Amino acid sequence: MIVDDIRQPTSLRAAGQLLDELGDDGRVVAGGTAVILMIRQRLLSTSTLVSLARVTDARYRGIDAREAHLRIGGGERLADVAAHPAVRRLLPALGTACASVGNVRIRNRATIAGNVAEADYSSDPPAVLVALDAQVDVTGPDGDRRIPASELFLGYYETALQDSEVIAGFEVPLLPSGVGTAYVRYTSRASEDRPCVGVAAVLGVTPGGRIEHIRVAVGAVADTPRMLPAVLADATGRPASPEVFADVANAYAQQLDPLDDERGSAWYRTRMIEVHVRRALAEAHRRAAR
Amino acid sequence: MTSTLSETPRTPDAHDRVLGTLPMAVHVRLPGMLHATVVRSPAAHGQLRGIDATAARAVPGVVAVLTAADLDGAVPVFGEATADQPVLADGRVRYAGEPVALVVAEDEFAASEAAAAVELDVQVLPHITDAHRALDPDAPLVHPAAGTNVLRTWTLRHGDAEAALARAEKVYDDVYESPPASHVPMEPHVAVAAWEDDELQVWTSTQSPHAVRETLAAAFALPAERVRVHALNVGGAYGSKVVTTIEPLAALAARHVGRPVRLRLDRAEVFHTLSKHAARVRIRTGVRGDGRIVARVIDVVWNAGAYATNSESAAGYGMVRAPGPYDVPNVAVTSTAVYTHTVPSGPFRGAMTSQLCWAYESQMDDIAADLGIDPVRLRELNLLRDGGVYPTGEVMHDLHYDEVLSGLQSELESIDVAPVQPGHARGRGVALMIKSTLTPSRSECRLRVAADGTYELFTASVEIGQGAHATLRDLAAAELGVAPDRVVVRHPDTACAPYDSMTASSRTTFAMGSAVRDAARQARRRLDDGKQPPFEVTGTWGSTGGLGSLDEHGQGTASTHWHQGGVAVEVDVDLETGRITVVRAAGACYTGRTVSPIRVAHQNEGGMIFALGPALFEELVYRDGQITNPNLSDYSLPSFRDVPRMRSAAVEAPGADVHGAGEMTVPPMAPAIGNAIRAACGVRLRRLPMHPERVLRAIIERDEERSE
Repeated sequence: MIVDDIRQPTSLRAAGQLLDELGDDGRVVAGGTAVILMIRQRLLSTSTLVSLARVTDARYRGIDAREAHLRIGGGERLADVAAHPAVRRLLPALGTACASVGNVRIRNRATIAGNVAEADYSSDPPAVLVALDAQVDVTGPDGDRRIPASELFLGYYETALQDSEVIAGFEVPLLPSGVGTAYVRYTSRASEDRPCVGVAAVLGVTPGGRIEHIRVAVGAVADTPRMLPAVLADATGRPASPEVFADVANAYAQQLDPLDDERGSAWYRTRMIEVHVRRALAEAHRRAAR
Repeated sequence: MTSTLSETPRTPDAHDRVLGTLPMAVHVRLPGMLHATVVRSPAAHGQLRGIDATAARAVPGVVAVLTAADLDGAVPVFGEATADQPVLADGRVRYAGEPVALVVAEDEFAASEAAAAVELDVQVLPHITDAHRALDPDAPLVHPAAGTNVLRTWTLRHGDAEAALARAEKVYDDVYESPPASHVPMEPHVAVAAWEDDELQVWTSTQSPHAVRETLAAAFALPAERVRVHALNVGGAYGSKVVTTIEPLAALAARHVGRPVRLRLDRAEVFHTLSKHAARVRIRTGVRGDGRIVARVIDVVWNAGAYATNSESAAGYGMVRAPGPYDVPNVAVTSTAVYTHTVPSGPFRGAMTSQLCWAYESQMDDIAADLGIDPVRLRELNLLRDGGVYPTGEVMHDLHYDEVLSGLQSELESIDVAPVQPGHARGRGVALMIKSTLTPSRSECRLRVAADGTYELFTASVEIGQGAHATLRDLAAAELGVAPDRVVVRHPDTACAPYDSMTASSRTTFAMGSAVRDAARQARRRLDDGKQPPFEVTGTWGSTGGLGSLDEHGQGTASTHWHQGGVAVEVDVDLETGRITVVRAAGACYTGRTVSPIRVAHQNEGGMIFALGPALFEELVYRDGQITNPNLSDYSLPSFRDVPRMRSAAVEAPGADVHGAGEMTVPPMAPAIGNAIRAACGVRLRRLPMHPERVLRAIIERDEERSE
């Protein structure tokens, strides 16, 4: 048999305790779109799966707009995040990213917490959560803690989560009017391929047309989403113009050292970073102006 | 006469096919059945020094672990013309992924767990994966006893091509490459084998029940009548199930354990079972200043992989199909199949045609541009027409390329597209193809006339979703003068359905269709004569000539008839990324007499969708002798979001015979796209797939040349 047992705790606390008890013999699973594939391909082996499917904690379920942030339960399926009116209205870039993962069958099963915890370098939501400065709400045997998305991803399929810790949900800061978000995903092969480059951009502009707030995270080109704070700081205060977007894009292209695979060589990815950072900023700017 | 097809009635089995409720070989379960998993070579080339199955045998549920060393007597071998493929590697391994052992267990999980526990001791030897380099004198030999990596060379000489090339006003000399690609049928290869005394029964997902039967009989030294092969609905094949692949493994395992055994490949194994022939085509074409082609010299090297499979005859078919549908007085073709340490190559929809069409139709547009002639006009100037002579010496008839060309253009024009965006460029391209059909070949069927006015048709033609059984039923019903629902078509069982060569080469509608009509005519005649049912008749159809009958210069009758098709596309090029989007596409073929307009449209459209993959996305990548992308994440298939708006046309002729339509839009798709890219932004790609990185590099080089 592939696994001996599947446990279905009804609370995050119970799940954490189970994982703690099982140690290396247990593995947490949410939608199963990644874990089951890895087990079947023998990249992962475990005797017991701890499923979060029956977890009823309020913080793990639902999406609601609070005063300063949007709260997203970790157990929400990607399809539901993508379709949620509040996400579409307030944080369209996050909706775009969640609507881009895999295909409709995957999105109908995969959860946003599972997607983020897998830390797949070529998935779409991580870069957007980093650009949006999301906080990741984590719970485990030692209690709760918050990890900024920008500090969660440590390497290929590696996160700051401790053993037995699970993601309960996310808090994504709401943006004032005049701030636009965009996620531009570029596939170099079939449209349902994983991205060659994914760029998330957040852009706030003053009434005078100057850049007040800018965050750009690039995904799928390295082990973790990449943001270049010094480049962004340089751009702040400058006009929100195609020339400045091109400067930011060029700096990203020059300073990132991208990977090389069937989706594009390092040479090609460098060029695609330039093109798509520029396009993402232009798109965020159009949305900021609305 | 061009008939435009636009209605969309359903295919009879579409509903069950989509729901997964259609019976297929993958669903077959026999009482007492065990499950086999294959242990495969990790090395592209090596000497197998030992296999340690101790840990594997200890896995609960494991019944047997079987290697070549465990067999009584020699390891069975199989193949088409040359039986050189051992069922299990015997000492030497010749490609990464070659079966070296079988694990048989009570369930699939135990079998695969045990297979992972089998330890192999392989002495790694130098390998060669590129067919062109395998021709070097110092290249490692795949089959040392042969003394060469050349499996078979075919040559065609018509007129004096070299002399005519030397005299030509213009000569174009280019190399076009196609990488290996994978068929990726949705239903993997699966076979269930059961022995009773000395009789073997196999249920398999195949396109060729009788060929599998003959191959198994030869491999296991049985009279053919002691092998019985059953096929059900097949869940996709595209050529990957024409030749025998896993059936001998299942049979060997079942014989060893004395119980029925099922072998179902997983996705990675499908990638390691059969490939499209990678090819390198050098094409030299001599042209007069007015655009008339006077000479063509083609040299094609096919990568056969590690075993012969069907590559000997395939290289011959490639030779015949190389020159293209043009009236060229002087032609020379050299077509060579070469062994390498890669997955064996076999038929791939549009077989031994796509790789050549990619060359001759791309070069056609370069010639047109160089001479300042419109590409369609250049084709019209050179097309083969009735009475023209094909480079095999055959006087051609029933040719309809002019109607195909005009049909393509009007159909493409009728599709609305959104306007082009800034930073993008649009271009249109067209390509034509000619393909011989399997010759000689034979089709037979049995038609049982029941007393209640119904009919039962026993045929070895396989239903793969293409609607073959519906077409055969319609043909029988029309000849019998009854409603189609009076005719029941049975799935292939070699004990009941007489001989048929294969369900491939776009031959079933014509070849088995002719046999079915023959049977139906006989039945009708006997009924008219007052014979009382029940009774049975046998319908037959056969062709002569073909490859084996050509002289040493490739002259003779190569094909029963010639398949004609074409594609026109418009593409959008993102000039900053090089990404290609096909925005509209039209496919056309000559059907002679259309049996079902909707099924022809499905084939034309399906062919274009299928061919989008190798044109734009698909490439089986080898690194250090290993396939690096044997999965559906790294091997990129087209998705429905990549499918353009399409239209289809079928060209018919009064009184003409029925032509198959299974592949006619596959070969022209890639060159049509390449030509459209050239029209859009002036760059020419000569290597598939047309990945955006290659397009972008070409655009940058073009810009650098222009600025110099």
